[in-house]
Amino acid sequence: MNAEREKKLIVQTKRTGFMDLLNAFSHEDPDRTAVLYEKSGAAAALSRSAFAEAVMERKDDLAEEFGAGTCLGVLCDGSLSCVLTIFAAVLASLQVVLLDENASEDLLAAQIRQTDIDCLWGSDDDLIEELQGCLTEGLSPQRDMTDARSLHPAQIRTPDEHPILFFTSGTTSSSKAVVLTDASLMAAAYNGSCKLPLSCEDTLLCMLPLNHVFGFVCGMLWGMQCGAAVALGRGARYYTQDLSFFRPTALSAVPMLLGFLLQHNLLNEELRLILIGAGDCPPALLTAAAAKGVSVSFGYGLTETSSGVAISVPPEYRVNPVCTPDPGDPACAPDPGGPAFAGPDACGRALEGAQSFDPYALEICPENTVTLADDGEILVTGASCMMKGYYKQPEDTAAVLKKDGVLYTGDLGRWDEDGQLHIIGRKKEILVLHDGTKLFLPEYESRIAAVLPGRDFAVLEKNGRPVLLLVDPDAGSAGESSAAADKARAFVLGAIRPVMAELPRGQQVSAVLFTDQPLPRTATGKVKRWELARQLPG
Amino acid sequence: MDRNQIAEICKEVIYECVPDMEGTPIYEDTVINTDTAIDSMGFTLIICRLEAKFDVKIPQRQWSKMSTFGDVVNAFEKRINRRF
Repeated sequence: MNAEREKKLIVQTKRTGFMDLLNAFSHEDPDRTAVLYEKSGAAAALSRSAFAEAVMERKDDLAEEFGAGTCLGVLCDGSLSCVLTIFAAVLASLQVVLLDENASEDLLAAQIRQTDIDCLWGSDDDLIEELQGCLTEGLSPQRDMTDARSLHPAQIRTPDEHPILFFTSGTTSSSKAVVLTDASLMAAAYNGSCKLPLSCEDTLLCMLPLNHVFGFVCGMLWGMQCGAAVALGRGARYYTQDLSFFRPTALSAVPMLLGFLLQHNLLNEELRLILIGAGDCPPALLTAAAAKGVSVSFGYGLTETSSGVAISVPPEYRVNPVCTPDPGDPACAPDPGGPAFAGPDACGRALEGAQSFDPYALEICPENTVTLADDGEILVTGASCMMKGYYKQPEDTAAVLKKDGVLYTGDLGRWDEDGQLHIIGRKKEILVLHDGTKLFLPEYESRIAAVLPGRDFAVLEKNGRPVLLLVDPDAGSAGESSAAADKARAFVLGAIRPVMAELPRGQQVSAVLFTDQPLPRTATGKVKRWELARQLPG
Repeated sequence: MDRNQIAEICKEVIYECVPDMEGTPIYEDTVINTDTAIDSMGFTLIICRLEAKFDVKIPQRQWSKMSTFGDVVNAFEKRINRRF
């Protein structure tokens, strides 16, 4: 990292929550830009103090209108008003649930009922009108976090913690509502910024939806934590224009978005850092970005951990500590040599001898501890960033978050010789797609099975998209481009069409393939997807 | 503007946005996700270009419901006709 840039790094101070962040905005460099947004066709800047004032003003309005504990569903559109509302509602002690305004009405209705939402905020009046019926049906008089608190003995809400619920990035109503807090989200932003600090002269472009924790933390809070300006992207319609409009120096993206930006040559010349997360990223994309002079970092985290657990740090971003080392933090202590690994440079200290850069070699973020189970499953401990639980799903919570505070991620990993973590696959029946979303296969496949009764099939991932492989002796033996396969494909596509229409485009089946062989299965009957994936053509 | 004209413009934009599809016929019942090389980002680009071309907006929540090429044409035809 060059000396000039290092000078502009702000010494990181851990923010305990949104109020602490706003206090810093009001009193430390209050005139510096906090947020860039579009106003009348031009980029407008909102200073840190003006942002804090706007939030507090809106907070007072919300507090006056709603009692504490009221549950507000925010249909996230990524606008300035949306961001101000989220901060304000949290500080007004409302329970906030972040929703995808582009999700289907059925999914939104299910999520509203699932999380006991009392009222909605959003910019689409027609949608809010349509969803009104769900609000009263799910209404109950008392809405605090008692239910969520009871999910796990360690879950104790303090007066300073405010719940924000994120849905896991899944497909259907089976998505779980994860209870996080402003404190856990700020802790995640702080931990990430210790590893990958932005400077006060950086502009971080937020293009990802705020209802995904990766977008919320790495697209927004990361920049705010570092004192950088955060540019609020204008949504999917402006993907081709936002980089030239806001001229960011840093960007968080999912693999599919990065592929799109590269394919259409949309990276602006000021851009120097891209943080990729929320899905497996093909090496070709990282190479292509690096060829344009952009540093690429890869992050690993879950909604349940408030985003980042581990991150790869490009050589030019290796710095001496910019966070405040906490002697009580196991991540800052030397590794005692046991199986638990907190990373040799967990507080941002330079790694000696680290010459070459492997973007998939991840360093563990401070305040997180990662171990591997005997079968390679990644286990995460980190009280500051960990979820409180799945909302009203104590059994599901207990299945992954054990009483000792260890989260069983369902992902498989390995350590390399430098003690860095590599993600090698999934233990759970989940596909992680290139648009950053996940398919929960049992439910996805059961919905397909309902319209293809009696058929043996499996859903696999190919090039970051789901494909459907069916056992069909005729079509399978005749070949994919045969008339028999075309006929069978037309039938299958017609049958699954109503199911697909309910899913976001990236989660819809992208190809229907056939095999004349029985699907390989484990002793317990599960399809050996990894074996099938290897056999897929192309 | 009649449906055929709208369909022709839709095809032009698809070929322009996804050069790999040049020469591949597109029919009313062509399923975007499985019969073409258009992924979700490519689809976003196509819809945005069409919105600009026709000067109408299709709500983003409707995008995932457009399964076939015919659905895309229908969506724009409906909006364009509503304008007049």
